[in-house]
Amino acid sequence: MTREEIQSKILMIFKEEFEIANPGLDENLTEKYDFDSIDALELLGEIETMLGIGLTRDEKKASMDIRTINQICDYIEQLAKKRSL
Amino acid sequence: MEKRVVITASSAITPIGHHKDEVIDSLVNGKSGVKELRDDKLLSDYVESKVFGTVTSPIEFDFERKYRKTMGPVAYYACQVVKEVLEAAGLDKGFISSGRLGVAFGSTHGSPTVQRDIYKTFFSHSQSKFSSIGAVDYLKSMVHTTAVNITKMFGITGRVISSSTACTTSSQSMGFGYEAVKYGLQDAMICGGADEYDTTTVAVFDNLLACSTDFNDTPHLTPRPFDTKRDGLVVGEGAGAVLLEEYEFAKKRGADIIGEVIGFSCNNNGGDLILPNTNGITETIRLGLKNAMIEPDEVDFVSAHATATKMGDVAEAMAIYRAYGDSPHVTGLKSYMGHTMGSCGVIEAIITLYMMEQGIIAPTLNLDKVDERCSMIRHTTKLRESDIRIAAIQNFAFGGVNTSLLIKKFE
Repeated sequence: MTREEIQSKILMIFKEEFEIANPGLDENLTEKYDFDSIDALELLGEIETMLGIGLTRDEKKASMDIRTINQICDYIEQLAKKRSL
Repeated sequence: MEKRVVITASSAITPIGHHKDEVIDSLVNGKSGVKELRDDKLLSDYVESKVFGTVTSPIEFDFERKYRKTMGPVAYYACQVVKEVLEAAGLDKGFISSGRLGVAFGSTHGSPTVQRDIYKTFFSHSQSKFSSIGAVDYLKSMVHTTAVNITKMFGITGRVISSSTACTTSSQSMGFGYEAVKYGLQDAMICGGADEYDTTTVAVFDNLLACSTDFNDTPHLTPRPFDTKRDGLVVGEGAGAVLLEEYEFAKKRGADIIGEVIGFSCNNNGGDLILPNTNGITETIRLGLKNAMIEPDEVDFVSAHATATKMGDVAEAMAIYRAYGDSPHVTGLKSYMGHTMGSCGVIEAIITLYMMEQGIIAPTLNLDKVDERCSMIRHTTKLRESDIRIAAIQNFAFGGVNTSLLIKKFE
């Protein structure tokens, strides 16, 4: 999956699941859109479905400091690389 | 010091209507809200009772996602009625978040729809969902989901009471809310209950042979409280909320006072968890009268729990007779909408307030021939133009829990 494809899918998830349309790629989602810890956990579920994998506890914990769309894309790229997807 | 507790706003979503005019129209014209049970692709084929007290009024839930995300259907109902109550009451936003307003609200299960989805994930052997329980599934299905979704949506910071005692859930909400205001713990309480469309509850009562099955082809003819042909209860859905305020506080802010809570009682039968118990009910009624400091003959109207089970109605009629004699008018309001479970107490209280305001007493629907064993009390068999000054709303639940709530027309 290319970076553009990941970004496109994440933006679609944000629009459809979180009702956040076209957020800036480096905007702080918590500060600007009230994206909270519950949303973050829901997003992890979406990422699992998107990649077709189950995330480990450590992988989930590693996502807790993520604040922006770009950081989410980085996280998914790292996961994909680690899992050779 | 004990304080007077008044009711200043109410809202109900019921199988016979959402707004007051709709509900009154159903009462006056004898319209039933019992419909054919919907096919749920799971249990509906296996239960013998094919009727359900169904909400058909269109309701537009205009909630932002940040609130919706932790809500199952039951919390939608709860937040909607509370939204309408707060709009009607016109409470100041500062007061709502002051800590002096609390919430007493519950439901039978949390959201059974969400619980069902969790179990489906567990037992489907599907790998499509890698996180078997969603982050918010617990928040949607926990027993206090209604109460805390209400506090979140409206920024309420006072005490939270979330009774979950099946059929006495919302009568306890009103009673415990009344006590919180009466004893000065809070200046106001939003009280109520809700339950969503749920076939699991139908299956539970069906298994116990307590559900109506003889009128599957004519749903509007059941339930039939106190009638010779009654054959059990009909499960229903709904929600109701009332705002209880300390009288001086309500008066000072110019609130529209629609009634007064003057007493509440709650006890337990101390034994069987299912069978109705005349002694337990009688004691509840007497405790309620004592709490309200009134005599039995001061009660003009009794909203009976009257689920239309063979034994329950007889036990209740006997208890009403023992405590009140044959003087108060008695109506079983479940005859119009079935048993709305966790919301029945508050809905029946709200409908009683409507009748107080309108100067009417609605009859028990489908009461064509009173069962001899229930005939010692004064049944309402036709619409009456009659002033209700003091009313008792009584409810009983599995687990042997009984409540009686005394409401007075505001004078």
